[in-house]
Amino acid sequence: MLSWLVPQASTSARDIDWLFALILVTVGFWFVVAQAALFTFIFRFRRRPGVAASYISGERKEEKRWISRPHALVIVCDVVLIVGALLTWKAVKQDLPPADERIRIVAQQWAWVFVHPGPDGKLDTEDDVRTVNDLRLKIDTTYHFELTSRDVVHSFSVPAFRLKQDAVPGRIVTGWFRPTRLGTYDIQCAEICGIGHALMPARLTIETPAEHAAWYASRSAQGG
Amino acid sequence: MGVVAALRWVLLAAFVVCVKFPAFADPLARGRELYVLCSSCHGEHGQGDRQRFAPAIGGLPQWYVETQLRKFLAGERGYHPDDTTGLQMRPMAQAVYRDGDLQAVATYVASLRPLPAQRSQNTGNASRGQTLYATCAACHGADGKGNEALKAPKLVGQADWYLIDQLKKFRSGQRGAGPGDATGAQMRAMVNVLPDDNAIADVVAYITTLQP
Repeated sequence: MLSWLVPQASTSARDIDWLFALILVTVGFWFVVAQAALFTFIFRFRRRPGVAASYISGERKEEKRWISRPHALVIVCDVVLIVGALLTWKAVKQDLPPADERIRIVAQQWAWVFVHPGPDGKLDTEDDVRTVNDLRLKIDTTYHFELTSRDVVHSFSVPAFRLKQDAVPGRIVTGWFRPTRLGTYDIQCAEICGIGHALMPARLTIETPAEHAAWYASRSAQGG
Repeated sequence: MGVVAALRWVLLAAFVVCVKFPAFADPLARGRELYVLCSSCHGEHGQGDRQRFAPAIGGLPQWYVETQLRKFLAGERGYHPDDTTGLQMRPMAQAVYRDGDLQAVATYVASLRPLPAQRSQNTGNASRGQTLYATCAACHGADGKGNEALKAPKLVGQADWYLIDQLKKFRSGQRGAGPGDATGAQMRAMVNVLPDDNAIADVVAYITTLQP
């Protein structure tokens, strides 16, 4: 459903949208039912001439049911949502599927530096390609990222990946994503990081392996 | 229509034109407005701030400030992943994007009275630096006051830590190697006369002896 608004460009985006849909349907269904019951009662027991209102203490068994049964239902729905959330959290954050490649993301006031592994697919080698505000990824490739900051706390936010991860100076935060859709997408710092925070966007391009190799080749032709 | 009513319409039209096209407004006033953003690092009087790695800019020539802002905008400066301070400045230049705003802020910066330069603990040897400066003097002038025709900015009055920093950036390619930066490329070639950090410290020590 969310993908109508923001494209799903990674496997995690699919998982997170599934969780959103589960919450929306569960909560939305009971919201509609509860409002329907409320308005039905308001209409059915509306004021009528000659009928006096009576006080209901809510102590009789058949009255208490109106509280206890929805209460039990809410708990059941909560458990369903919690299980859904934990499954998604495990899939997105706790499991670290084996990496095809690693990339490094360095945040600073007010730019993103991306270290791509280069044609050999390995970081910290001669052919690494560093870019400013320009992240290039291969489709259907599992990446582990190392996220850090040079100065203050930033947040690496990629709406199309449903990813928002703080970058903390002095720490290397590891995570993963697997791009699933070609195209260009937005990256934006999502943590107020100083006067230039609003001017800290970057561009994500997901390309085919051939396009990616051609890009590496063009970079090495320019001298990296 | 009375004179007063006509005057009201004229004032309203002038207001709309000035809001819509800020370049029509007084560039100095517009520049002062825009400078609020710059002042958070460069200081209210453009005096610079070493803690924020912000050079002194007050009183720099208008043409130089405008050229550098355009370079930041075009990615000819502040493009290198290691140029931490250049990367900070680049988005700031992007904040000044409306027609005429760039010239306005440069005009305002040029109108500021330069304050005495901040000094670091540069231990360079000024007399050795004087010999090395002969090459720099060809463009920047023997007095270090710059030469617009050669696109060479003035050097006197600038903080020594900033000059050292920039010379190192020219040498490493963090500045002057951006695509299309012709004057930066010139400067990169020139910086080769300074073989090491000591030579840079020496030449900067000499520049700081020049009278603004």
